[in-house]
Amino acid sequence: MADRPMIPPGLLSAVESDLKPVRPLASPARRALALLPLGLALLIAIPAFWGWRSNFSALGPAVAWGLSGLQALAGLLIVGAALREAIPGRELSRPALAATVGAALALFAGLTFVTERVAPAVVPPGVWVRFAWECFWMAAASSVPILAAAAWLAARALPTRPAVAGAVYGLGAGLIADAGVRLFCWVSAPAHVLVAHGGAILFLAAAGAGAATVVERVKGRRG
Amino acid sequence: MDRDDDLVHLLVAYQAGELAAFERLYATLAGELHRYFLAQDATGAAAQDLVQDTFLEIHRSRHTYLPPLPVRPWVFGIARHVLGRHRRTAWRRTRHEDRAEAAAAAAAPAAPAIETRDLADALARLPASRREAWVLHHVHGLSFQQIAERFRIGVGAAKLRSSRAMRALRAALGVDPGMDPERRETRDG
Repeated sequence: MADRPMIPPGLLSAVESDLKPVRPLASPARRALALLPLGLALLIAIPAFWGWRSNFSALGPAVAWGLSGLQALAGLLIVGAALREAIPGRELSRPALAATVGAALALFAGLTFVTERVAPAVVPPGVWVRFAWECFWMAAASSVPILAAAAWLAARALPTRPAVAGAVYGLGAGLIADAGVRLFCWVSAPAHVLVAHGGAILFLAAAGAGAATVVERVKGRRG
Repeated sequence: MDRDDDLVHLLVAYQAGELAAFERLYATLAGELHRYFLAQDATGAAAQDLVQDTFLEIHRSRHTYLPPLPVRPWVFGIARHVLGRHRRTAWRRTRHEDRAEAAAAAAAPAAPAIETRDLADALARLPASRREAWVLHHVHGLSFQQIAERFRIGVGAAKLRSSRAMRALRAALGVDPGMDPERRETRDG
């Protein structure tokens, strides 16, 4: 006992003054699951608000609802991975990170080509940029609730690599929001979907990285 | 007391609010953390500060430990975070100091030249007797007794000449006369 290091008095008093019982965070999977109702609400609210895609019936429920549900589920899993990344000591390894991002992008591209194959629809001449801009901002703006919720959940933990955690939950939030936009946008041409919708997803990943970095800096300054 | 299972129990007790559990955690992990920071090129004192910062962050973030996961990866994850924050702060401070030094170096040749010229002008305008008393006392370090002997005047007169010179110089340079040390010296003798 005598050779044990002594706790510095300042540290001991800081701990003593704030030693109330705390409840550990729920597991990342459970916390991601808490976002399920919000994800489902977005999936329905986005097309309900903006209008259902005109070729919805040509897609059929399996390709329309099924693939959008799959994309939203993948987004939710990725948010769960970000919440795991935000726990000290549980950071994603580089291969796991690469696999997560790669799987997300591959799924998004795969769904794009499947949709195009089932119900091909190109952008009318002369409105390519306008359509791309509209879909980009629709996906980006629609993701705000899920992005904010994911950011709040991650900030309650202690992301040791905030930019990584933020980029991953931004990617997940982008996939979830775009799953709803996909039920509105009737264009299935890969060029439009990959540039406008995919661009929004990447933009949200960057926004998430920036937001998480800022949040952690603010937390650090407040101590 | 360093098996991971024991550490898990300690951390759970700490989350429940037991101070003794924190003390035992500190006793078990402080040495390891100190060695870790030393291995990361921290000096002895800095390593000790980092250990404290890590335990402070552990305290703030104790709710982020998820039992029954291993404790050490969580603790060292926080230690890496604290080390990264420390390095960023040090880098920012160094950059800030470098900029301040560069700015001071750039401004240095101009500012003192003006002050020196002002001081020289103000000194030149003083009566010779007052100027000599002031220079002998404040520049050459002679006592008022020595100045009095040199000019064959009383000590009080030597103090008065120097004090009046100081007041005139401060007025010429725009310095608050209330801060005049000469006046204190004169009063104190």
